[in-house]
Amino acid sequence: MSVHEQYADDLALHALGALRGEELVVLQKHLQTCGECSRELEQLRGDTALIGVSVTGAHPPDRSRKRLLEAIAGEPRHSPVHTRRPAWGWLGWAVAAAAIVLAAISWRQNAGLQRSLAESSHEQAREMAELQRARRVVAALTSTDAMHVTLVHANTPPQPQGRTIYSPHQGTLIFVANNMPALPAQKAYELWLIPMQGAPLPAGVFKPDTHGNVSLIAPPMPNGTQAKAFAITVEPEAGSPAPTSPVMMVGTGE
Amino acid sequence: MTIGRKVQSALSLCSVIFTEKGNDLPDTGVKGALSDGGLVAAIRAGDQSAMAALYDRYSGIVYAVALRVLGDSAAAEDILQEVFLSFWRRSEAFDAHRGNLGPWLTVVTRNRAIDRLRKQRPETDIEGVVLLTDHDWAQESDRARLLERVRRTLSGLPAAQKSALEMAYFEGLSHTEIAAKTGEPLGTIKARIRTGLAALRKAFAT
Repeated sequence: MSVHEQYADDLALHALGALRGEELVVLQKHLQTCGECSRELEQLRGDTALIGVSVTGAHPPDRSRKRLLEAIAGEPRHSPVHTRRPAWGWLGWAVAAAAIVLAAISWRQNAGLQRSLAESSHEQAREMAELQRARRVVAALTSTDAMHVTLVHANTPPQPQGRTIYSPHQGTLIFVANNMPALPAQKAYELWLIPMQGAPLPAGVFKPDTHGNVSLIAPPMPNGTQAKAFAITVEPEAGSPAPTSPVMMVGTGE
Repeated sequence: MTIGRKVQSALSLCSVIFTEKGNDLPDTGVKGALSDGGLVAAIRAGDQSAMAALYDRYSGIVYAVALRVLGDSAAAEDILQEVFLSFWRRSEAFDAHRGNLGPWLTVVTRNRAIDRLRKQRPETDIEGVVLLTDHDWAQESDRARLLERVRRTLSGLPAAQKSALEMAYFEGLSHTEIAAKTGEPLGTIKARIRTGLAALRKAFAT
């Protein structure tokens, strides 16, 4: 096996537990990153087992076997296998009694589990209802056939209006608008998040539909970004990293 | 007494009854023919007779190693119990894909015995013992051949090399302790141990 030669002696010592101090620390650090040396160490441990074989010949006293078997009989594993049926009739009653007690315990545990399950189901149903409600909201906001109607004072000529819904904690930004004027060729609107400090951050490029409506779910914003205001400018279709035209619409937090 | 403790008592009673009923229990005749892998699978399923078969197969090696390290039969017997009981409780610690059971038990035993010798709390958790080896000691005839071959190989080593290996393995001495004890340079001790292990590997490479 190919190992790092400078560690070969120490690997042999370590396999025997004979390496101590700084040399052991250095080797252990190396082993954390060297698969070949780690494998060699495991093989060397296998080699050391051969030294142990050289002393076979002594035999443990018979009582050791009995002692061990009694100990493991007191510690049954998952599904003990008994290959012979006990001859004593009353033994069946003892087993049956134990089974009844076990059944009682199981019933109690089962009842507890049922309660937990019912609580979990209730919680899950509540969360599903909230999720479905959220989906309906988003679907309505972003649907292409959704009517966006803004009620204004009678006799007021139609005005562009937009609304942002922004959660700094989640970094989620939704923008809906209506009555947006048609754009010149090769131009698009760009939404800007104006932070408490610093330059405006691009929050999405969009074009209104033929009715002047917009539904935009902006790309995720950096979490925790606090907004002082939002603004819209007209930019090239691909968008701009910074506003290049006068602010067309603006709104501050309510 | 809680219901849980009553159940435990009832099950303990059943266990005692099963044990006393079969003074010759467990019957390892069939299990004794299983491979190590078969025994381990049966033990993981809770088969006590498989554990008995495993004991019959490897208790000699385990006890002999512990006795050689500790030089005390009662202490060796304690180690023997610890090793097999630990295996019964956590046989999952043994990874059959990485080696055979006999060498693994031997290394676990030796490490536990060294811990006892150095009067340390047992530091060797069986789950921390990882080794790779191709040697299969499941058959009695294999073990006899292995013993003969190991003894021949070790006796063929230079005396100082064999002594360094045995001081590290059976006495749990560090290389600095061996150097101090023998008056040899550290580098010499390191080289002797490395070449000694290499000789053992080479002898069993074919």
